[in-house]
Amino acid sequence: MSDLDVALRIVPALPLIGSIITAFLGHRLLGSKSHLPVIVGLAGSVLFSLMVLVEAPGSGRISTSYDFIDLGNLHINVVLRADALTAMMLVTVNLVGLLVAVYSRGYMAGDSGYARYFAELGLFVFSMSMLVLSSNFLLLYVFWEAVGLCSYLLIGFWYERPSAAAAARKAFLVNRIGDCGFLLGLMLMWTTFGTLDYDGVFSRVDQADPATLTAICLLLFTGAVGKSAQFPLHVWLPDAMEGPSPVSALIHAATMVTAGVYLVARSTPLFVASPTAQLIVAGIGGFTALLAALIALTQFDLKRVLAYSTVSQLGLMFLALGAAAGQPKLAEFAVIAAVFHLFTHAFFKALLFLAAGSVMHAMGDVIDMRRFGGLRRLLPWTHALFLIGALALAGVVPLAGFWSKDEILSAVREASHGPYGGMLTICYYAAVLTTFLTAFYTFRAYFLTFWGEERIPEEAHGHAHESGLVMLAPMGVLAIGAALTGLFFGPTHLFGEYLAKTPIFPVLGDEHGLDWTVLLTGTLAAVLGIGLSGWFYVLNPGLPERLRRGLRGLYELSYNRFYLDELYGVLFVGPATVLSNVCRLFDQYIVDGVVDLVGWVPSALGRVFQPPQNGLVQYYALVTTIGLAVFVIFVVLTLRG
Amino acid sequence: MTGMNYALLFLVLLPVIGAVVVAALGPERKTLIRWISLGISLVVLLLALLLTAGFLHLDRTDLALAAQSAGKGEGAVPSMRPEFVPGALPDDPSSTRWDWVEIGSGTIQFYLGIDGISIWLVFLTAVLFPATILISWNVEERINEYFAWLLTLKTAMLGVFVSFDIVLFYIFFEATLIPLFFLIGIWGGPERRYAARKFFIYTFVGSVLTLVGVVAVVLACYDRTGLLTFSIPRLAAIVQEQVASPDPQVRSYWQSVQAVVFTLLTVGFAVKVPLVPLHTWLPLAHVEAPTAGSVDLAGVLLKIGSYGFLRLCIPLAPDASIQYGMPVLAALSVVGILYGAFCAYSQDDVKRLVAYSSISHLGLVMLGMFSLTTIGLAGSLMQMVNHGLTTGGLFLLVGMLYDRYHTRKLSDFGGIMSRMPRFGVFLMLIALASVGLPGLNGFVGEVLCLFGVAELTWKHGYSPWPLVLAATGLIWGAWYTFTMLRKLLMGPLKEPGQHATEGLTAAARHAGEQSPSANSGDLVPREIVTLAPIAVLCVALGVYPQPVLRSAEPDISIVAAYAAKARDRVTPLSMAQKGTSVTVQESVRNR
Repeated sequence: MSDLDVALRIVPALPLIGSIITAFLGHRLLGSKSHLPVIVGLAGSVLFSLMVLVEAPGSGRISTSYDFIDLGNLHINVVLRADALTAMMLVTVNLVGLLVAVYSRGYMAGDSGYARYFAELGLFVFSMSMLVLSSNFLLLYVFWEAVGLCSYLLIGFWYERPSAAAAARKAFLVNRIGDCGFLLGLMLMWTTFGTLDYDGVFSRVDQADPATLTAICLLLFTGAVGKSAQFPLHVWLPDAMEGPSPVSALIHAATMVTAGVYLVARSTPLFVASPTAQLIVAGIGGFTALLAALIALTQFDLKRVLAYSTVSQLGLMFLALGAAAGQPKLAEFAVIAAVFHLFTHAFFKALLFLAAGSVMHAMGDVIDMRRFGGLRRLLPWTHALFLIGALALAGVVPLAGFWSKDEILSAVREASHGPYGGMLTICYYAAVLTTFLTAFYTFRAYFLTFWGEERIPEEAHGHAHESGLVMLAPMGVLAIGAALTGLFFGPTHLFGEYLAKTPIFPVLGDEHGLDWTVLLTGTLAAVLGIGLSGWFYVLNPGLPERLRRGLRGLYELSYNRFYLDELYGVLFVGPATVLSNVCRLFDQYIVDGVVDLVGWVPSALGRVFQPPQNGLVQYYALVTTIGLAVFVIFVVLTLRG
Repeated sequence: MTGMNYALLFLVLLPVIGAVVVAALGPERKTLIRWISLGISLVVLLLALLLTAGFLHLDRTDLALAAQSAGKGEGAVPSMRPEFVPGALPDDPSSTRWDWVEIGSGTIQFYLGIDGISIWLVFLTAVLFPATILISWNVEERINEYFAWLLTLKTAMLGVFVSFDIVLFYIFFEATLIPLFFLIGIWGGPERRYAARKFFIYTFVGSVLTLVGVVAVVLACYDRTGLLTFSIPRLAAIVQEQVASPDPQVRSYWQSVQAVVFTLLTVGFAVKVPLVPLHTWLPLAHVEAPTAGSVDLAGVLLKIGSYGFLRLCIPLAPDASIQYGMPVLAALSVVGILYGAFCAYSQDDVKRLVAYSSISHLGLVMLGMFSLTTIGLAGSLMQMVNHGLTTGGLFLLVGMLYDRYHTRKLSDFGGIMSRMPRFGVFLMLIALASVGLPGLNGFVGEVLCLFGVAELTWKHGYSPWPLVLAATGLIWGAWYTFTMLRKLLMGPLKEPGQHATEGLTAAARHAGEQSPSANSGDLVPREIVTLAPIAVLCVALGVYPQPVLRSAEPDISIVAAYAAKARDRVTPLSMAQKGTSVTVQESVRNR
């Protein structure tokens, strides 16, 4: 085993060990120190994942652990792989995981489920690390579901709250719908290629017929749609905000929800071979980006605004992933743009969620922006950090979001000159509009929370105060990331060059310089959005209310999330529940009724013909057995003679 | 290996010997009866672990290779090879010299043995054994009879899985009915008499048909070869030889025999499994049975049905299994998966919910089995073990809940997690295993079953709808299970009123003479010991299922090879298709 092999095992192992120690000892022994095993484990993982980051791209190492399933022609081994894409994800997951764990030390202090929280957090980081380390699709699926379980447990962390219990169940079920498609895709993949290993599948792509390939891609994408909360399965993510804020930051913004993006990026060789699938990915992505941004405009729950923003940003990533439809040369650039946005988004969105958590902490768990305001003097550090995150999300030069969003827009604009230009042009303008809306709703949230007259809800009990260092420090680190990662990795092409070493990009793309049109359009959209939002919420506080009355219909549509939850209720949940009751009654009265009727006929006859029934079942059994035995012996003897 | 042979013999006989002892002790020496029963269960468990370990050390690669090449059309299918046969012949360790009843020229033998299929079901039965004793710890009423019946039931169940004589198999098969009939009828819930009667008559009618099928196959073999044998391996070998006969008259004779045998065996086993629409005895019997009865019923007895298909139906009627079995049983299985799940969702009684979920899970077991591929069959076996563990575990948990509150209505409960966190953790874990979450055992079984069906579907060009519908079972399973978890464990704490004891049932009467509130604490150590082995196995088999798969592979491959040969006989066309698809795959691989 080389150093890299050891590192590959240690990175997932440390959080798992920490999690197990906390789970078994936390409640009784560790008490308020339950965070220690997990935080120490995560710190170690960060160091080792940095080592993987340095060494992986050169080696393309694959490291076997043991046979999971080896039966007939199905071979699934637990095999870890290290390449540039994995290493990049690994660092992101463990770094954000560590920062969130440190923040949680302060945020969750005193909670009765303190140990449980850290045990579940450790389990999540383990599962997520394994997800990106897997080198075959079934193993990926295993940890795909495992992160879903951690998400379920952490959304339902405060299980006494009915809303949290309902949100957890909803998240799991909606994800299961996507996973069902994912699993079918794996089966089709296995019967088509005879293997589920990445390398095996990717090397045989050209031997599958196009229709099958498209089917495989779309089924995989179904899984991604569920996990990454894309339309039409996006409805679980906003509800998932019932979980603790650090969980929202880690799982529902920075890492788990990006697993879908990772899956599609990882399967680039498959998608490149199926323009239809790519086009659908781009279309769903673009549509979701715009839809979620429109919903985010009118929400008053700060965390939900951020949740819809996450849905929208993930949509942009998918738009980029699918943008290279029909232009394999563009694929590398487009996919790298998507992954780059994943990377920067992890920093600034996690930062925004942690800052929102800090606000919530100070406001006595109130998160409705109508109930507080003008907090910039009360929470100066949170205010500054939130502002950095907001600027990065809005895409203002030179913060991280600007560079990655610019790359996505460039890729889509370039794609719109290709064979599927019509649709991709629409997608491009949807993305530009999304950029504008993003800047608007982000700063709407910022102004409503931090500007205007200072208002504090009574739940804060007059103890509203700035968070301590243990919470501010991790946010500070994330803020540095949100401010500088773009500038450092974007214009220097460091990120692109690093990621291009991943051996999944079959065609080396062309060099891409800065597209000045896109750069200016994007910046203009962002500035316009921020400016408009400032005009609405700072300079003219009465204007939004007048506008709301004027555009009542549109407002209601956005505020009620386009009534999609209600629609699903009527279309799916209601009928399924009714069907279930019908089945239950049908089974009880009809099916069983027939059985009882059939059973009643002989006994009724028996009552007529055979009065001395003694009712002893042993007696019947005895008679029947003897009768049958006589019959058997008789038949056998006859046959012999 | 004589030691192993005796271990197997004692494994089967010890419980019934214990039953006689316990019954003789009389109803007053309660503590002694409990400890004797527990001791026997632990010895049986130890013997089963010994047998499993011994079996895992056997080298059976020759059998696996022979079966696999037979499946690919090269060479004959090897005969079933039971190991550890008590009274084995020195030159043929897979046969026994222990004759039992002579009938004409044939002999019914006391022919026990273990192969890769039965070892895991024996293992499952043995693991659940101590749990059923421990959960019955508070039974007071007619305690000696209760434990005597419970122990007798164990012998019958273990006997079914290790019998390689068809008459012996049938005797054990039938013998499972009587103890369970009394367990439900005497120690059951308010409607116990009706439930017991229905259970008995329903399954008894099924078993009578099974018997006729068994007789038919024995006689048909006798008729054609002049050889009267009751040995399952020999019967299977004779059938295999006869159906492949070059004489078309012989073939057509066996065609009709197989149709009859298949139908009769299927009806009998389908009642046991149960397949929709022959399932209605199950929810009732489960709900009314005392907890230990439900655990044995769901955990082991249902598998006797599916095991019957695997051990008898497919080997003895291979062509009919392909011709009628695959389309009809696969369709019924898919209906069962969906119907069971939908029925389960809206149940208010947790025990009924779990009972219906069994119908759904067993549907997947049968679907995987009737893909008749190595992977599907292995998945089916794996899923039998999984279902035994998880559903057994769920019934234990429901029983523990009932002991405390004397009600099982979901609408009476809420937020129990905060009242009984250990109970909540166990329930969560076992429920997650039951919905097939990766890392736990259910996942491996589900995936293998579905992959088996996928292999069949796409290799032979069947419609993908059964597969797609079966795969949606993932969603429905999560739907009812997570709804149950939410109602029971989450939300604000809500406990049934202290007066929920009206209409006290028999079970409740002896379970809790004390007031319910005194009992409503978290799990006591005895209960944790009851559940812990199941929980550990759920994780262990989920993380490392390979020992089960590897040890079962030779015997599974034999069944798959019977089916593959039958497929080539029944549909010569599909052989051509298979040929091409195999070459495509091979060419893909070569590149």
